[in-house]
Amino acid sequence: MNIIRPSAFAALLACALLATGCDKKTAGPETPISRETKSPGELRLFCWSEYVPQTVIDKFTEETGINVYVENYASNEEMLAKLQAGGALYDLVQPSEYATEMLIKEGMLLPLNKANIPNFKNLAPEFVGMGYDPQNTHSVPFMGGSVGIVYNKERIKTPVNGFGDVFVPEHAGRIVVPDDAREIVTMALDHLGLPINEINADSLAAARTVLTDWLKLVKVYDSDSPKTALLNGDVDLGIVWSGEGALILNESDKFAWVLPREGAHLFVDNLAIPKTARNKAGAEAFINFILRPEVSILISEEFPYTNPNTEARKLLSPEQLANPASFPTKEEWARLEIFHDIGGAASDIDGVVTDLRAQ
Amino acid sequence: MGYLLPGSSTPTSATPRRTPGPAGWLLLSPLLLWLGLFVVVPTLLLVILSFCSRDPDAPGRVLYAFTLENYVRAFQPTYLKILGSSLLYAFLTAILCLVMGYPVAYFIGRAPEGRRNTLLALVMIPFWTSFLIRTYAWVTILSNQGFLNGILQASGLTSAPVDFMYTPGAVVLGLVYNYLPFMILPIYGSVEKLDQSLIEAAYDLGARPWSALVEVILPLTRPGIVAGFFLVFVPSIAMFAITTLMGGGAVPTVGEVIQKQFTAARHAPFGAALGTLLLLLFFAGLWATKPRREPEPID
Amino acid sequence: MNTMVLLENVSKRFGSTVALQEVNIEIFAGEFLTFLGPSGCGKTTCLRLISGFERPSTGRVILDGRDVTGDPPYLRDVNQVFQTYALFPHLSVRDNIAFGLRMKKLPLAETRERVDKIIEVVSLDGLADRKPSQLSGGQKQRVALARAVVCQPKVLLLDEPLSALDAKLRHQMRLELKSLQKRLGITFVFVTHDQEEALAMSDRIVVMNLGRVEQIGGATEIYHRPATRFVASFIGDTNIVEAEVLGTDDGKILCRLEGGLQVLVRARNAPPDGKILVSLRPEKIRIHKTRPPGENVFRATVISEVFKGAVDDLTLRTEGGLELGVLDTNEGSDEVEFDVGEDAWCRIHPDDVIILGG
Repeated sequence: MNIIRPSAFAALLACALLATGCDKKTAGPETPISRETKSPGELRLFCWSEYVPQTVIDKFTEETGINVYVENYASNEEMLAKLQAGGALYDLVQPSEYATEMLIKEGMLLPLNKANIPNFKNLAPEFVGMGYDPQNTHSVPFMGGSVGIVYNKERIKTPVNGFGDVFVPEHAGRIVVPDDAREIVTMALDHLGLPINEINADSLAAARTVLTDWLKLVKVYDSDSPKTALLNGDVDLGIVWSGEGALILNESDKFAWVLPREGAHLFVDNLAIPKTARNKAGAEAFINFILRPEVSILISEEFPYTNPNTEARKLLSPEQLANPASFPTKEEWARLEIFHDIGGAASDIDGVVTDLRAQ
Repeated sequence: MGYLLPGSSTPTSATPRRTPGPAGWLLLSPLLLWLGLFVVVPTLLLVILSFCSRDPDAPGRVLYAFTLENYVRAFQPTYLKILGSSLLYAFLTAILCLVMGYPVAYFIGRAPEGRRNTLLALVMIPFWTSFLIRTYAWVTILSNQGFLNGILQASGLTSAPVDFMYTPGAVVLGLVYNYLPFMILPIYGSVEKLDQSLIEAAYDLGARPWSALVEVILPLTRPGIVAGFFLVFVPSIAMFAITTLMGGGAVPTVGEVIQKQFTAARHAPFGAALGTLLLLLFFAGLWATKPRREPEPID
Repeated sequence: MNTMVLLENVSKRFGSTVALQEVNIEIFAGEFLTFLGPSGCGKTTCLRLISGFERPSTGRVILDGRDVTGDPPYLRDVNQVFQTYALFPHLSVRDNIAFGLRMKKLPLAETRERVDKIIEVVSLDGLADRKPSQLSGGQKQRVALARAVVCQPKVLLLDEPLSALDAKLRHQMRLELKSLQKRLGITFVFVTHDQEEALAMSDRIVVMNLGRVEQIGGATEIYHRPATRFVASFIGDTNIVEAEVLGTDDGKILCRLEGGLQVLVRARNAPPDGKILVSLRPEKIRIHKTRPPGENVFRATVISEVFKGAVDDLTLRTEGGLELGVLDTNEGSDEVEFDVGEDAWCRIHPDDVIILGG
């Protein structure tokens, strides 16, 4: 009768170990990367899941004969960890602004040869020379975006202009926010008028006080697809990435987009070449390819974030350009601020948010 | 009546002590190597990491300086509470899977032999599609404008949408749905081996169906129940994809918290400490449900 | 004698196969009754109808005067010793034996007393705390017996309980079972395919074949007066010979066997006519060197001989070409040795020629 035991115990042991390190989002096409299989006609792209359209990659291969192998990640930290661990050889990575800053600081990126990237000139001036890479020596913007508010006009009748209007007791159980401790704390810091990139014990304590009231009202934490809960009617308003916001506006005119009056996070996702790259020329060719207006609009069509490419914007339809989530006004742009590396404070932020969510 | 004849009193089925010979060790070596490389070594690394500190200058880097700080933090009420609620969800899931899975497993295990494989395949078919697709299918059923609310409102049972999504109930539903086969299969294995004459003997001795179940069938299928319980309970503790997708992540699960330590929070040693505690908990659970060795024959 | 079990016009079909056909059996209180037959004959089905694990397709099962046809096993006052013992592996010997009493919710003290007593009766002292996996086959057998008997059933059903034991233990257990049954006075219903077992223990035997009862009777009756060709051939060895009735004379029937040999047969019932079958037991055919006196004497030639110690196993051919198996018991005053090719005088008593029905 005990025959089943040994196998069951082995299975349990295996489960116990797996349980400590599973991840749901890295289900993209995994390609083994090693020195042996390397050949000049290959480009290994390590990028966010669902960010680089397959049509763009196919077109690049068709034109250059370079095969592109794609591997995905779900967070900047996941990408950083993989690069820091060594062994994995990528030709191109796609870090956000603060991650780019860290990679440059740690000397993990190769300087770009601008001569190979003539299309750099197509970039809008506001996306050139941003704080994390003032001379764009190591990175080229891929897409930008903001973190803003979307609300259901049919259900929310009070005016919504900023974070303070979202987190009110009447909206309890009707709010979605990103499942991201830094974005959550940034909302509170912006609301308090505190700097979002110099986090200390005092500012964190102040943010905590605000978030203690705010997080009680939240129904859903979702970074992957916050639009699902909004479009399904499970929540009536929330804080979402601008690309998601733009998609929601395209899908239903019940919704409105607001860039918080207190200010908000501006993120810029870049293309950069890690030091371990084997095909720098191919990587630079890919960057230059992406910066072509007719290629850039392919990305905008699938992921309506803020296109940093002036020439590409000229090819977009008036409707696309009129989407307030995709293209903020000048005044709104002034309210946005990029993230810088905050070092050890990341853990403190996580501790505060975890603590409040567990209440 | 002297029965104890030589040759007939030797217990025939008492298990002999099993120690593999040289050939046995050779046959076991791939397994041992696998266990060593993929179980023992990573576990040891995890435990070592849990006692390390972070580099104050570059927090993503680990400093190999001994500290208990990670464990002190892990025992803060916040993390104990998260652990507790994760265990509670997992326990509830395992119990529901047992209650729903046992009759199914029993039915399949007692079905005519030729039909068992078909029935097992029916249990498995939904799991040929991706986990995310299956879970999103539930989202479309349970959301406010979803299938279920549509039916309820069309039939006039409710006038306003009922909140099914992003509730503890949705989390448990998602977990039960995804882990039910892990309960059914091991119990099926036990039921299939159950000798029909033992059940008949129980009835013959006056046991009514309920007594036969409690006194004979359940105790004899206990190995399958224990295995199934752990196969559901253990992964449920850390299965944050479902708690996030279907529960909205309102209460973080321990798996999610651990994952975040290795990513956004950039505090791998703390994540390792939480992981180690979870591991210890599993071992305690295993020990508690371990089969007790029966006394050896007297002679 | 009181009737304990009555199977009344019982038929049982499993799908399209007929397991039992119009069976009528009466089992008396206190008797040791054996169902005997080859596998698939329906004997186990009969047992399962009594225990309640099967319900008859037609007919009724009466237990101690009560119709129990539709009752589940746990409502019937019968207990069974299973072929594989079916001891509960998770319970000790004591708990196995106490199971039935516990299910009947007997007071604890009484349960303990009865269990202790039966443990003594079946000589399991000292093993009470062991698990079944720690017992030998014979010990398991006795636990199974004790577990059933302790419930004091009206009928004890035994489904080939000895088949898993080795030959020596099996012989011993036969005697044990028989003496236990006498002491307890419980009705035993025993199922076996082993004729020796059946003949040794039973008060009465029900010989079954192909879902029908062939004959019911005591051991000697079944052996010496087989009612059918099947019974005659299934129990012991015999010569079955076609015959033709020639006439009746003074309570005896004159028959001509195939090959032309004419024999007188003691008529027991209404004398049959036309073609019949007769059974001649090999040990009933006496052979002599010289012509013996009396009826049914004929000549034959020894065509093979196998010496088996207590007996000589001979095959003889009569003048008409009929081959007969004969057991020479090597007893009596007559010459003992016969060689192959030798002629002999044979004789069979009219009482020993059995006319078979069916």
